[in-house]
Parts: sequence; structure tokens; C-alpha cells
Amino acid sequence: MIHIDNVSKAFVTAGPGKLFRQAPKQTIQAVNNVRLHAPNGRITGLLGPNGAGKTTTLRMLGALFQPDSGNITVDDIAVATQPRQALARMGMLGDARGLYPRLTARENIVYYGRLQGMDAGSAEARAQELSLLLDMRTILDRRTDGFSQGERMKTALARALVHDPANIVLDEPTNGLDVLATRALREVLRYLRSPEGGSKCIVFSTHIMPEVEQLCEHVVVMAQGRSVAQGSVEELLEQSGKTQFEDAFVQLAFEAPAQGATA
Amino acid sequence: MSTGFWRNFQVVAVKEVIDALRDRRTLLRLMVPAIMMGPLILLGLSALLASFEDRAEKREILVAGIANAPTLRNFLERQTYTIKEAPTDYEAMLRERTLTDPVVVVGDRFEQELQEGERPTVEIVSDSANQRAGAGVGSTQRLLTGFNQERAVLNLALRGVSGDLLQSVSVEERDLASVQARASRITSIIPMFIIMAVLYGALTASLDSTAGERERGSLEPLLMNPVQHLALVAGKWSAVATLGLMMALLASLSFIPAQWFIKSDSLQAMFQFGVWEVLPFIVLQVPLAAGLGAGLMAVAIRSKSFKEAQASSGLLIAAVTMTPMIGIMNPGGDAWWYLWLPGLSQNTLMLRVLKGESLGFLQIMPSLLVGTLLTLGCLYYVAHSMRQAVSR
Repeated sequence: MIHIDNVSKAFVTAGPGKLFRQAPKQTIQAVNNVRLHAPNGRITGLLGPNGAGKTTTLRMLGALFQPDSGNITVDDIAVATQPRQALARMGMLGDARGLYPRLTARENIVYYGRLQGMDAGSAEARAQELSLLLDMRTILDRRTDGFSQGERMKTALARALVHDPANIVLDEPTNGLDVLATRALREVLRYLRSPEGGSKCIVFSTHIMPEVEQLCEHVVVMAQGRSVAQGSVEELLEQSGKTQFEDAFVQLAFEAPAQGATA
Repeated sequence: MSTGFWRNFQVVAVKEVIDALRDRRTLLRLMVPAIMMGPLILLGLSALLASFEDRAEKREILVAGIANAPTLRNFLERQTYTIKEAPTDYEAMLRERTLTDPVVVVGDRFEQELQEGERPTVEIVSDSANQRAGAGVGSTQRLLTGFNQERAVLNLALRGVSGDLLQSVSVEERDLASVQARASRITSIIPMFIIMAVLYGALTASLDSTAGERERGSLEPLLMNPVQHLALVAGKWSAVATLGLMMALLASLSFIPAQWFIKSDSLQAMFQFGVWEVLPFIVLQVPLAAGLGAGLMAVAIRSKSFKEAQASSGLLIAAVTMTPMIGIMNPGGDAWWYLWLPGLSQNTLMLRVLKGESLGFLQIMPSLLVGTLLTLGCLYYVAHSMRQAVSR
């Protein structure tokens, strides 16, 4: 169970400078009072256009940096104060998913298992198990150098799932995947959500609408750093008064916040 | 499930060592020069020394116009020298370095002037830019001084004066240097190469495990594991330091078989390099490999790409490899602070080992202390900067 409560984060970046003049500092509010509640056994979608603050929110969830305000808890463990305990309960597939090119897929997965505190034997066994689940038996003992985008994604996902976490967080996992790989990933996520798969709590960020429609029971729409609407796909259609989910998303993410700002 | 610091440190260290050793191409590029270095340096040095020895054995002297000086010829032949007529274009040849011996030039009226007591002039012609010819000037000069002295003694004896009057003081040389100390004059460049082996061994691994990890996008997922950041950094660092030491060991060991190829007899007799020299050499490199491994990581973690990290680490590498030059350019003996400067301290202590001196704890302590402090400081900095690196 993941709970993100009123989380905000601002970054200070350099603006345009002149040749002999230092660039003035600019503050960018990347995330502004975002709320998200993701219970176990449900796939929660985090839907928003590029630059909406999805990745920043998930990186705070991954304890890479602290929010300016608000709280994040994973299974009631506060990420800010007990990051290592919280991370042990999560499998994160973040925006950056680089592998070690000189290690095989199996070694990449086992290394993360060991870092999660598993002994070598159970990490090996789990790598084998995940290779069946993710259909990566043929690539398991190949060095990851030269892997295709889909093979990389599978390895990175297996690496994130190696310790069988109760909470799974995926940041735009279908980026660069072909139809078949996307479909296979969808099946895996459905299985992991089901009671046979362990009733995992899954948070899934994307900007692709059909994925959300097909996969998520609950959707949080993010725009300009805020969570602007949430509910099931049907509820969001109802809220926006549209019949197509794409129209509903455009209405909720772009038009409603703009109207709110002018009102 | 255990997540203790020591356990995590080991997991990371083992992975990093395997990862670095799998990078065969880079490793080969580092290992080949490290192994070839010893034999190549010694071969070069021994060839140089052998040519000096050859010259001494040959006892040849080049003279232009020896026909004008029968007395001088007589003297030189009595000293068992073979006199060779200098080529006519000896000046051009000396300049072009095709002639590697100085030339004694005797004037047309030499014999006549000598008989009349007019002090004829004899020139020793060499070119100071032609080093090998320059090196022969000293012995030629001594030979001609001997001739002068003999003439003077004979002249005095004719007048009934003892030749001893010319030497009111008897001068004898006594060389305090041991055989090894004498050899260390020649072998003093060896420590510099060992230091370079440490640095280049540590360089690739340190950049790959920091800036490389960042560039690949594997640092962020790595930090999302429940591992103490200091354990991550320390594990990476131990692999870096191990690689540096491995290269130093290879470079040191390469000098042992290299001794078999030494041509010069005196260098072979003087240069004693065995396991008892390699062992202290490696122990001395430990603080350097540790401190600079951590230092390189600290420089590289601030860089966003491998290329940027290479540029920034170049300065550090150059600074450390240049420190032994301080010892060479400052011939006034070792200053106390030599032992406190990374690189220079290793160089100074390795030179002492080559001279056959034994090292005490007090001599090793400064570099140990500096190495430890540098390691701790840099590792703490890297652990702190790692999180910042991914949050930007």
C-alpha cells in the first residue's frame, strides 16, 4: 500500500545567462500538493502529459530526494525517516533503468537480489522464476550489452521484482516497447495484481491513454505538478462529461486547470 | 535477510571486481604497458651502460694530427691506448652525432713547441649536445693531464728536483655508497613507473563506477536499493584500489625477469631486485592506491559523463605523477615533507628500498596517515554527492 499525501517539491535551476553574467536562479514548482492512494491488489495509474511531475513524484517515493512538504508512506513506513525499510518493501522501475553491460541478465538480477538482502541461493532461484514469468529464458545468461529495448526492460523489471516486493512502482514501463512486449507486460502486471500473483499494490505511470484504459482500476490525472482528478476510467468520463477517454483526459489535464486558473 | 554494512560492502565489492575484470580490452591496454615497462626500461638503461663499458674496454682515442706529436703518441701507447686517426670531417660528424667520441686535435708545430718549452695547445673537440661524445671528454682530459704530469716530473727530475714537490697533498677517493646505492642512481626512475601503474590501474575502474554508472543510468536504480550509501561507495572503492594495486604488482614483478636481459655487467651486479624488494614496493602503494582511488572517485562523481570525468581526473593524475620530479629537481636531500605528499612519499620510500635501506614504521606512518584521511574524506564526499547526482 502506497500513500502519497500532499507532496510538493520545487527545484532551483539556472535561467538564461550572458557571457560574463551569471545566470539568475529560477524556481520551478515541479510537484504541487500531489495526492495518491494505492491499495494492495489494485493497479493505480498515474496519468499525465510529459513534464507533469510524474517522474519527480515517483523519485521522491524512491527516496532519491525528500519532498519540501507532505508525507509518503509505504505499508505505513515513512519514506522520509526510514528510507531503507520503505525501499525493501518496494520494487522500483524508474525513469533511468541502466543495466551493467558486462554482466549477464542473470547476474544483473542476482546482484539486486543480494543488495535487497537475499542470500545467493534464493536470489538465483528467484531469477530463474522471474525468467519464466517474463519469458526471458533465452537471454538470461547473455551479457546485457547489445540487448534490445524490450530485453532491457524485462531485465530491469526482473531486477526490480527480485525480492518479491509487496509494492511495485513502474515509471513509463512501456516506453520504446513494441506491441507484443507491451501486451506481455500488461499480462504480467494483471497476474501480479491477482491473488495468485500476490495481490501486489502496483503504481504505473504513463502518458499513453489506451494503457490506462486497459489496465488501471484507478487513475490519478496529473498536470502541471498537481493531481487534478482521480477515479476509475468510468468516473473520470462522468466527471468530464465526455464519452472518449482521450477527450476526458484533455479536458481534465489541460482545460479544467486552465479554467481554474482564470476563474 | 541481512542488510549489514559489512555484508553489503562485500556484495558490492565482488560485483565491481568481476565487472572490472570482464572489461578485457581496457584491462589488456593497461596490463601490457605495465608488464612491458620493466623489461623495456632496464633494456634501455643496460644498453646505455653497456656502450659506456665497451668504450672503457676498447681504450681507443681519436686524434687528428698524431703524426705531429711522437711524444704524445709514445705516452698514449704506453697507457695501452689504441690511437685512431680522426676522420677529416669530424666536426660535422660530431654535430650530426654520427661520431660518438671526442677528438683530440694536435697542432702542426706540437713537437717543436714541446721541445722548446712553449706549451703547445691541444684541443679536445666535442659537442655538448652530443651526449655520448660529451661523456668521453672527462676520461680524455684525465689522459692528457697524465701526459702533462709525466712531462713535468721528467723536467724536474732533469734539474734534480723530486717529482713529489708537484703533489704536496696526496688525494685518494673513498666511495661510501653501497653497491645498491650506486645502482639506484640509474634505477631511480623505476618508482615513477610503479606510481603510474597504480594510478592508471585505478583510473578506469574509478570512473566507470561513478561517472560511468551515472551515464549508463544505472546509478539511480542502484540507489533505490535498501543499502547504506557508504557501503555502496566503500565496496566500489575497494575494487578500484584492488585494481590499482594489481597493476602495481604486475609492474613490480615485471622487473624480476627483466634482470635476465640486462646487457651491462656492472648494472647486473648492482641491480638486485627480487621478492624482498617487490613486497615493500606493494605495501608502500597501499595508501596511494586507497587515497587516490577515493580521490578519483570524488572527482568523477561530480561529472555527468565519462568524458567529463576523464578531463577532470587528468589534472589529478598529472599532479601525482609529477610529484617525484620534486625530488629530482631538488637535489639538496630529502625534506621532511616529502613523506607527507602522496606520490612523492611513495617515490622517496621506494628509492630507499632500492638503495637497500630498511624502512621503519616512522617513515611509513606519514603516507599511511595521509592515505587513510584522504580515503575517508573522499568516500564520505562521494556517498554524499551520489544522491545529489541523481536528484539533479
